[in-house]
Amino acid sequence: MVIVDSVHKSFGSVAAVRGVSFELQPGQIAGLLGPNGAGKTTTIRMIAGFLMPDAGRVTIGGHDTAEAPAAARTRLGYLPEGNPLYPEMRVTEYLDFRGRLFGIPRDLRKRAVAWCLERCWLASMSGRRIATLSKGYKQRVGLAAALLHNPKVLVLDEPTNGLDPSQLHETRNLIRELASDRTMLVSTHILPEVERVCHRAIIIAGGRVLADGTPAELTRRSAATYVMQARDSRVGDHERVAKALMNLPHVDRAVDRRPEGPAPSLGWTEWVVTARPGAPDLREQISMTATQLGLTVRELRADLPTLERVFMEVLDRAAGTPSEPDPSPRPTEAAA
Amino acid sequence: MSTALAIARRELGSYFRTPAGWVIVSLFLLLTGFVFAFSVMVPGSPASLRAFFATAGWLLLPVAPAITMRLLADEMRSGTIEALLTAPVGSASLVMGKFLGAAGFLAAMIAPTGVYVLVLSKFSSSPLDAGPILSGYLCLVLMGVLFLSVGTLASSLTQNSTLAFMVALFAILGVLLVPSAVPLAPDWARPVLNALSVGPRVTDFAKGVIDSGNIVALAAASIWMLVMATLVMESRRWR
Repeated sequence: MVIVDSVHKSFGSVAAVRGVSFELQPGQIAGLLGPNGAGKTTTIRMIAGFLMPDAGRVTIGGHDTAEAPAAARTRLGYLPEGNPLYPEMRVTEYLDFRGRLFGIPRDLRKRAVAWCLERCWLASMSGRRIATLSKGYKQRVGLAAALLHNPKVLVLDEPTNGLDPSQLHETRNLIRELASDRTMLVSTHILPEVERVCHRAIIIAGGRVLADGTPAELTRRSAATYVMQARDSRVGDHERVAKALMNLPHVDRAVDRRPEGPAPSLGWTEWVVTARPGAPDLREQISMTATQLGLTVRELRADLPTLERVFMEVLDRAAGTPSEPDPSPRPTEAAA
Repeated sequence: MSTALAIARRELGSYFRTPAGWVIVSLFLLLTGFVFAFSVMVPGSPASLRAFFATAGWLLLPVAPAITMRLLADEMRSGTIEALLTAPVGSASLVMGKFLGAAGFLAAMIAPTGVYVLVLSKFSSSPLDAGPILSGYLCLVLMGVLFLSVGTLASSLTQNSTLAFMVALFAILGVLLVPSAVPLAPDWARPVLNALSVGPRVTDFAKGVIDSGNIVALAAASIWMLVMATLVMESRRWR
């Protein structure tokens, strides 16, 4: 439905996008993730036809954005970053204006505006000036305008930026609802959003695609860590515990460290177990091992891989620096 | 064309949705009204609107850039240009729509001055000579269209509407001052400068002479400005 084929874009001497390629299938919701300045907005602007690529091509429903711009743009609904609107216009007036731009005939336009007002829960605000609306309602006006010509592809650049938690929740629901019969590309740097809403995550930084897959696939690339806080009756023999944990299947590393915090932690040790990428949940095995070794466990927590962690790891790998959080141990002092 | 009309319609409406449009129209009518009351409606003087046309012509100098300064600059500043240019709207339709909206506003500003013609004809002892009035209005419209097209080009060059105003104002002043540069220019450049001069063409209209050459020259200059604005807007996609 959307094909981005090795597009490049530079602004003067700054290369904003350097050979980005991906393809979106019908009905897919993809999240375009990246830090600020990663090239997200430039990529999205090229898909929307606002900018033309220096090299490479973008096609929407088979129409090249440079060779058949009108055909490509009529198939695409776009919510630009910052949701720019005309504050002096009334909601219905603005939607009617957008309908005219897309050449929708009068009677159809009237129905389309009514449908969008209904779909974006804007009916009660239809007569209000846009300037007087809250940010959440403005966002809905932007979404309604993007939907008006019933496009098969929706491209939303930072749709939840600056919304409060309840507006965020509403907008997320709306996006999910709108995506039921459309291909959607959502740019964001709010990663939990992507895990909740998207079928696919494309991570870009420095103008390049660094990772591309479903959130589950991407999180499988990262390792879970487990932290167990326990007291060992055999004082000073942490080695046997670490060894036993290392012998568990799917375990990559097991090290001990002194727990953080003041006096109450004296006598307690923390074992940090790093699983191999893609490993199942190891909490049961760790707990059973602790029981077999006669440890008194007061805490066992799992730090399962999230998209956020994968994102940081991917960015760090690209930058050539180690990833956070750092599970490396501190020197263990003899437990009292 | 329908997208250009949609943009023109929105633009025209936006002038009257904000106080700025009403203020411009009011000031224009107030000043021309003064001139009409105190320079035209003088008992015993010939029934002529010449003083009104002269004032209105000069008033266009700041008014036209004020009308056009926001046209494209503001769209670029606020980001609404992105929503416009990602709809199936070509750069030519965008510029044409913006220009037509501004021209519509100019027409709405000049139209009420028709009352002056009615009042003058009611109180004039002899029938009015339609020729100078028609040529006066034609001149006002052609000059307005030229100034608006210069202003549209200026507005396409920057995101800053104040800068767009200043660029348009000085460009129009430059165009009007071309005749005074003719005596200083080398021989080969004089015919070119003469052809580019707007001043003598305006004088012809003021005398009541409607020369098709003058109409074509002013209209062509306006079209050229709009073509340049279109090229500037199109080039923004490829930057």
